Amino acid sequence: MGAATGARRAGMFFSLVNPNFMSLRNFARIGISMTLPPLMVAVGVTFIIIMGSIDLSMEGAVAVCAVVFAAIFMWLGGTLASWAWLALPACIVVGALYGLLNGLVHVKLRIPSFMASLSMGFVGIGLSLLMTGGDRIRVEDKIFRSLLTERYFGFPLMVHVALLVILIAWFIQSRTAIGRNFYAVGGGEELAHASGLDVKRVRVLGFMLAGVFYALGALFAVAQIGIAETATGYNFMFVSITSVVVGGTALWGGNGGVWNTLVGVLIVNVINNGMIVMGLPRYLQDGVLGLLVILAGRPVDGSQIPRIREVSGPCLS
Amino acid sequence: MTSPAGRGTQTERSFQREREMSFIKKFIEQEAINRRNFLFASAMGAGGLAAATMFKAGPARAAIEDPAIAWSYRDRTNPYWNAIVSGGESFVESIGKSKADLINLINEGSSEKSLSDVKALLSKTNGKLALAIDTNDSPNARPVVEAVAEKGAFVSTLWNKTADLHPWDFGDNYVSHMAWSDVGPAEQTATILFKAMGGKDAIVGLGGIASNNPAIERRNGLDNAMKKFPDIQLLDYQAADWDTQKAATIMASYLTRFGDEIKGVFCANDTMAYGVLEALRAEGLAGQIPIVAYDGNAQAVDLIMAGELLATVYTNPYWGGGITAALAYHAAIGTFKPSEEPHEHREFNGPTILITKDDAENFKKQYVDATPSYDWKDFWGPSTGAITY
Amino acid sequence: MDKGVGMVFQEQSLIGNLTVMENIFLGFERQFVKFGIVDWKKMAAAARYQLAKVKLSIDPKMVTSKLSFAQRQLVELAKVLTLEERVHGDLVILLDEPTSVLAKEEVQLLFKLVRELRSRASFIFVSHRLDEVLELSDRVYVMKDGEVVDHVETSVATAESIQHKMVGHDINKEYYREEKQFAYDPAKVLVELDAISLAGKYKDISLSLHAGEVLTLVGTEGSGREAIIRTIFGMQKPQSGSVTVKGRKITTYSADAAVANGIGYIPRERKIEGIVAGMSVYENLTLSQMGRYSRFGFLRIGDEKALAREWIKKLSIKASSEYADCGNLSGGNQQKVVLSKWRSGGSDIILLDHPTRGLDIGAKEDVYEMVRAMSADGVGIILIADTLEEAIGLSHTIAVIKDGEIQKRFDGKPGHKPSLFDLIHYMI
Repeated sequence: MGAATGARRAGMFFSLVNPNFMSLRNFARIGISMTLPPLMVAVGVTFIIIMGSIDLSMEGAVAVCAVVFAAIFMWLGGTLASWAWLALPACIVVGALYGLLNGLVHVKLRIPSFMASLSMGFVGIGLSLLMTGGDRIRVEDKIFRSLLTERYFGFPLMVHVALLVILIAWFIQSRTAIGRNFYAVGGGEELAHASGLDVKRVRVLGFMLAGVFYALGALFAVAQIGIAETATGYNFMFVSITSVVVGGTALWGGNGGVWNTLVGVLIVNVINNGMIVMGLPRYLQDGVLGLLVILAGRPVDGSQIPRIREVSGPCLS
Repeated sequence: MTSPAGRGTQTERSFQREREMSFIKKFIEQEAINRRNFLFASAMGAGGLAAATMFKAGPARAAIEDPAIAWSYRDRTNPYWNAIVSGGESFVESIGKSKADLINLINEGSSEKSLSDVKALLSKTNGKLALAIDTNDSPNARPVVEAVAEKGAFVSTLWNKTADLHPWDFGDNYVSHMAWSDVGPAEQTATILFKAMGGKDAIVGLGGIASNNPAIERRNGLDNAMKKFPDIQLLDYQAADWDTQKAATIMASYLTRFGDEIKGVFCANDTMAYGVLEALRAEGLAGQIPIVAYDGNAQAVDLIMAGELLATVYTNPYWGGGITAALAYHAAIGTFKPSEEPHEHREFNGPTILITKDDAENFKKQYVDATPSYDWKDFWGPSTGAITY
Repeated sequence: MDKGVGMVFQEQSLIGNLTVMENIFLGFERQFVKFGIVDWKKMAAAARYQLAKVKLSIDPKMVTSKLSFAQRQLVELAKVLTLEERVHGDLVILLDEPTSVLAKEEVQLLFKLVRELRSRASFIFVSHRLDEVLELSDRVYVMKDGEVVDHVETSVATAESIQHKMVGHDINKEYYREEKQFAYDPAKVLVELDAISLAGKYKDISLSLHAGEVLTLVGTEGSGREAIIRTIFGMQKPQSGSVTVKGRKITTYSADAAVANGIGYIPRERKIEGIVAGMSVYENLTLSQMGRYSRFGFLRIGDEKALAREWIKKLSIKASSEYADCGNLSGGNQQKVVLSKWRSGGSDIILLDHPTRGLDIGAKEDVYEMVRAMSADGVGIILIADTLEEAIGLSHTIAVIKDGEIQKRFDGKPGHKPSLFDLIHYMI
């Protein structure tokens, strides 16, 4: 995997510039410093991108999930040692429902996925604004926050949880029928259709699954800063899609996967972190990431150039 | 979505969306302080002065009996302006009227609408009007004030006006102008931070969106304080765009880069301080490195009481909204004669309340848990003095 | 266009949401632009002048999509005729199947116009309708397999003589292999089409497919064959009539329902609808039978691989292993993978759309073998053949379709094969 070498190389470059950079403590910090929530979101959107669709609703979805979680959590007692633990599954359910709605809007109303999800993202932002009135909900439960504060093998607990989630995502991708179907739909919607797959159902399920991962991202984000608010998902869209593309999953679908995304997130974060360490101005940092997407997103050879399909029936991607 | 061109568009979309999303967030958090952006935008103009003198004589009018009271502002969907207007309503109730008697002129971010609404109301009330207004941008203040003065009504402005426009050039009709300066309070928080550090060692800083006026003023405040503490070193100062998560990321990187060198953190607002605190908490350093912030949010006050935040600053928009309306009203009914007041009573800075561990509990009781009742006739008591240009 | 060659396409090249005049002068608006502003009045006048050439009296400011098909065809002709003003010298206009979608009267109108315009331009007329060709043209070039076979003056040509030239003389007996063809079971009906119609595609089609039968639909491109196949596979719902599969009338038209009924579809565009490039052989094989190769949604990958190995052996698919990327296989082997996908899933009705397109002779022969083997196994096959020889050689029954209607049915059992001439006679 060339991408992995890329991450290592980038790391080496920054450690030359600043010798502190590659210490284990630092690596753990790269891991936690905002990597995990966007990583979860990136894993979720990976499935969508494999299907050849796009989902831009993550910021709204994360905001809604975070706010709903925090609201229920605080309402039921505010600590995991009470019935408030129910807020965890509730958050996942909300994420799934959000994704379901997103998928249904896309498939049933035949709105291209980028437009449907973009709108749903705004709906989510609005919804969370409505729920919070612009305020923040604080979640200070020590047990819940132990995701951030407890360390095992030098890494915060949430890093281990995230690893587990990624393994599950990989299992879904490679060992389940729905995972296979994502690739089939992305590899050729017509073909999947002509093979008797219910493409619409697969798409809706894909968005639902992504919603579940967005919910996990929301949980990690809340655990990390102890606040649920409308801005909880801020910038996740750009970071997650950048990571997926940099990891090598093609935006036209059919290839790539969870491991690519993990590597992509690492590269983006190493570079991001490295740029802060080097003291690059903020606007330059964003510019560099933009360039990265352009470089990673272009077709490398002829075989990767998306074919133009004959438009017959609903063209949904 | 299948063509390369399509992918390009998509990237653009995500950029754009990022912008839009952050707009929403900024709107909620920072709309408040954006008002200040235009304050110093216009340079002093001699022509303006000359024009102003024409109105000096303004139609002399005896006190107005029971003038209409109006507040003209952007809109009420964000907490800052909500607090402003709530203060205005509180004042209206204090003179025995109902909240509904306060006329809300909402300009929706348009200076044109702001001006035409005022003109419409002036002709409707035939000048029997006490107006409190933020004119949306600085250049708009002059036509608004001129229209009011021409009709013999009374106006007090908040935040926006050009530096060459002064209440005393309009006799009694332009009652007062109030704004806030962040430079001084930011210097104070920085000073508190440096003193807590014993006047030596190094700090890191996190700023707001680089082009925002409050971000610039607060940074200036920090710089001023640093001049007085030559042994304090600023390791790095980066913009975290008022954002909690971004602040946490940057703080984590600071820790990577400078490690134990960091002995203090200067934050340009509260929300970024929360992110800094969590980045420290992840390293088990919460409460061990002093942090100062700005805005006086309820959570920040709690953190000060918990010893995790050193200081923050509260600007009290509630009082600002009430007293601006009160000034216009009382000038209109003749309680005082503005032209007999000194300049520092006509152009003054709003109050800023510094909150540290000593007064946090008191502050919380007074401002967070309850809405304080103000004496709306104590016009200048809480002010921090004349605006200097 | 600069050389004075204009084209009127079968698939019309007008942009629906522009007005007629905008379409006519598309790309040449500059002549109406003054100081950066388009003089719409001037353009409308010029458009009216062009429309008069084709005797079309419509408002040039009309949105094109509101016109009838025939009207649009005339607008297209008018657009081409703007060349008269722009180009010096002779004008050549290509008419590519201009009549295929027109009604009889409209065709006559068009022909009348073309005859009148002959003074202004030369026409090249491409059509599969021989009567029209003979009616309109002065000289006929007969093309077969991409080569000009002959050209004749219309005055001396007859429909028969042209048909003979189209058939050629080198009929390849290899395709027939009559001795290899098995009789089918006429008692067992697999698919029954009862007077199905779909506007613009096909009309009043009744057919039945029996176990072991190879039923071939013969017709020109666009005759409606493909649409019929897509209807059987549930991808296009007919407007009237009914489809009965194995005794059960179809109520929901969807591909997954068709697959559940044991129908397999091998599309013409292998790469788009046949295999997923980038997926391995085993992943492609089980694509249509996810349910069978998963339990509670979890894949039984071991079983998938075993299945792939079995079929690689059975059809001697040239793939390095079951992991091989289908995108890297040769066309013939890809076709085998597609076939085994359906056969391994137990499909007993196979729809073959141009299964030999783009394959070399050897790979073609492999496909023929598979078709015959399936037929022997009692699989019902509906075939759209790549060549007429193929159709005649492989089928038990041939239905000739022209303009969406069945013109003639031939019994293609060994010994009763129709000739190429018979087929072409009804095709065009």
